[in-house]
Amino acid sequence: MEQAVRAKELQLVVFQLANETYGVDIAKVSEIRELQKITRVPRCPDFIEGIINLRGRVIPVVDLRTRFGLPAGERTANTRIVVVEIGGHTIGVIVDEVLEVLSVAGDAVEPTPPVITGLEADYLLGVAKLDDRLVILLELDRVLSRNEQSALMEGAYANGALDKAV
Amino acid sequence: MASFEFSDEDLKVFFEETEELLQAMEDDLIGLEKGDEVEARLASIFRAAHTIKGSSATVGFTAMATLTHSMENVLDRLRKGQTNVSTAIVNHLFTAMDVLRKLTADAAAGRESNEDTSPVLGLLEMDLEEDASAAPAEATVPPAGAATAVAVTAAPSAEAVVVAATPPWAGLDLDEFEKQALQDGCARGDTLLGVRVEFHPEAAMLSVRSYQVYLHLEEKGRLVATRPTLSEMEQEKSGAVLTAFLFTLEDPKVLAGEIENIGDVRLALVEPVGPDGLFRAESPVLTPSAPAAVSTAGTAVSVGAATPAVVAAPRPTGVPAARSEAPAARSVPPAASAESGASAKAGMRTVRVDVELLDNLMNLVGELVIDRTRLAQSMGLLDKAVDSQDSDVTRELAEATAHVGRITTQLQEEIMRARMLPVETLFKKFPRMVRDLAQKCGKQVELIIEGQDTELDRGVIEEIGDPIMHLLRNSVDHGIEPPVARASAGKPPVGMVRLSASHLENHILITVEDDGKGIDVEGVKSAAVRKGLVASELAARMSTQEALQLIFVSGVSTAEKVSEVSGRGVGMDVVRRNVEKLNASIEMDTTVGVGTRITIKLPLTLAIIRALMVQAGSGTYAIPMASVVETLIVAPEELKTIHGAEVIVNRGQVLPVHRLTRLFADTCGGDPRALVIVSVGGRKSGLLVDKLLGDQEVVVKNLGLFLGSIPGLSGATILGGGEVALIIDVQSLLSPHAAMTAREELIA
Repeated sequence: MEQAVRAKELQLVVFQLANETYGVDIAKVSEIRELQKITRVPRCPDFIEGIINLRGRVIPVVDLRTRFGLPAGERTANTRIVVVEIGGHTIGVIVDEVLEVLSVAGDAVEPTPPVITGLEADYLLGVAKLDDRLVILLELDRVLSRNEQSALMEGAYANGALDKAV
Repeated sequence: MASFEFSDEDLKVFFEETEELLQAMEDDLIGLEKGDEVEARLASIFRAAHTIKGSSATVGFTAMATLTHSMENVLDRLRKGQTNVSTAIVNHLFTAMDVLRKLTADAAAGRESNEDTSPVLGLLEMDLEEDASAAPAEATVPPAGAATAVAVTAAPSAEAVVVAATPPWAGLDLDEFEKQALQDGCARGDTLLGVRVEFHPEAAMLSVRSYQVYLHLEEKGRLVATRPTLSEMEQEKSGAVLTAFLFTLEDPKVLAGEIENIGDVRLALVEPVGPDGLFRAESPVLTPSAPAAVSTAGTAVSVGAATPAVVAAPRPTGVPAARSEAPAARSVPPAASAESGASAKAGMRTVRVDVELLDNLMNLVGELVIDRTRLAQSMGLLDKAVDSQDSDVTRELAEATAHVGRITTQLQEEIMRARMLPVETLFKKFPRMVRDLAQKCGKQVELIIEGQDTELDRGVIEEIGDPIMHLLRNSVDHGIEPPVARASAGKPPVGMVRLSASHLENHILITVEDDGKGIDVEGVKSAAVRKGLVASELAARMSTQEALQLIFVSGVSTAEKVSEVSGRGVGMDVVRRNVEKLNASIEMDTTVGVGTRITIKLPLTLAIIRALMVQAGSGTYAIPMASVVETLIVAPEELKTIHGAEVIVNRGQVLPVHRLTRLFADTCGGDPRALVIVSVGGRKSGLLVDKLLGDQEVVVKNLGLFLGSIPGLSGATILGGGEVALIIDVQSLLSPHAAMTAREELIA
């Protein structure tokens, strides 16, 4: 994966999340929408913010801050829903702000530093150095993979999400 | 020949056709066993087996071909009356068909089949041997149907040779090599037959059919020439007509009959040809008759009829004529039926459409429906905002909006109709099931099926199959008594089970009825009490209907016990669950000693449901009307608690009350004022919500795989304003409370 990243130039949609800058492959992004009314879905993992109406389709929306365990941020005029196509699912991802679309040369990408380990290292493709900025390359497929999602689901139930409901 | 490649399309047609033929065989076999129209049914089964044999051999599924060949042998003896139809033979044939089904399924899935055909082949072999001694001499007699029904007997006489100058194969463009082969053969004095086969012009696999005829002819003698040639067949250049010259000792009548048994053949003309006739046909004098070779089938029939040749058109011969009168004929592709003129046109008016395409269309229409509502709303706002000077524009817009609205409604109805299938597609698999089960239970059961033309949404049909199967199984297994018991009860020995479908307003009713022993309501009650499902005082107060509902309660491991006493209950909780999933309801009516009737009331479609819209906390929810019993406005003091659980007294009954916001862990407090009484598995409970917003039709949207199935929710719908509302699945919403509810009732 890392080699593939280095080999060619990457087109990234770059967004802000808390005080970090992330980038995802533009090929996975189908559109960027302003925040719209999200219908909360009960009995779901926390990071699933709810569902929205995307031109007649109902798609789930994930809050990336919650997913990454970051403190909940305030919704502002800059908050966006990045709609991505992953493994046959169309999913909305809430980010603080979409900054730009960047072309990054493959050799500007470095592997994830060893300070990040475990599950998280899995969905980080690497870090792109741009002047004084660091853009963290995200592998969204893994961030939102079904397996992980169902694991989280089970976790949610085990933690008593259902009991709470009762 | 093994190099003959079949397109996926051909194979698909083959599989579809095989499935249809197997179904037809099954229907006929059941009819056969009952003893009605035995001859016609035998002929029909034989023909179906023969067609499968031919086409499976052609496409290279030898196991299927071998098996159908064995079936054919047995059927042939039955047909000729050399063997009597016995339960054993019918069972063997059923077994063979099951194996065929598996083989077909494996082949269709493109996997190597591990189905062992030898046991069933052995069974069929046994059937043959058992009666082999009975009439060995007859074995060589040609099929009765083909031999007796031919109106004009033609011998290879001088007359035949003379008129053979005009047959449709005249003018066949033979190459030098073929001419030489014909001349040589004729010089040796071999019998030459001219063969002309016409297929139904709309038949789907002309090349395959031609090839089948080719193989058949090749087996029977020395095949000199065919048009289309083998290589043309391989290139799929076959037309609706095949002509051939064959040196053979076969009887032309028999051969014509055999060819006519190949699928999609509408006319087979086999005629002896003398060397004179053959070559005169090529002379310029006779060319006017050549167009007949390419003319339509109608002409060809009259040519054949006017000629003292052997004509085996489907109608005149005994076997196929009888077949086309058999009720099963309709499940055979229309192309194969006798009235080709009418059915050919009907066939061309239908198109096979992928189910997914229909689903997509339905989704798109669903969106249109939402937009229509939005458009109407915006129109209303615009009307208010714009002053009267611009009224022309607004009027124009209003008209367009109204028109779009009407068109959308119509479109929605049409698409929904396109998704409908007659329940026959589902019902047709039950006669076999009931027969097998009755046999196993040692009972005599007649299954009467009514209203199979009733149409239902494809989705509903898929879901309702299991519940109906369970109900039928219960009727046969527990409802109908053994013959002896029936006799002593003064009932006819053959039990009746009636499965019917009918239309009632916006619903479809499916009824399973039997004239068995009925359900002992008191027995059910006492069993439920014993199992701790209900308190005895409560049981005593229960009405018959309420007590019957207990049958559907799945009391963890108790369902089995209830069934022992009542003779019912096997899978009844499954029935209830499936039925409720469909937003359908189920009713039961029983009289001890007389019988039981169970009615399932189904919605016409699953894509659009009627729902009660409610507001609870921060959300808007849709509760399917099928689950709603009634709604009440409640004052806070009407809610009581029993051991900390909220309840309400409604019509003298203590009902558990659940706050929707609490069930969904919605922290937004709200002001619960309205109670929706819902019914799950015959148990009523109250759902406390803030506000009732009225009922409306909602388009059901799947929540998608990413979210998966969430207990308590069955989907979402988009409201007129564009926002999304969740659709509540009352059953799974309240199911964790089933135990609690039972306890509450005990306390009560």
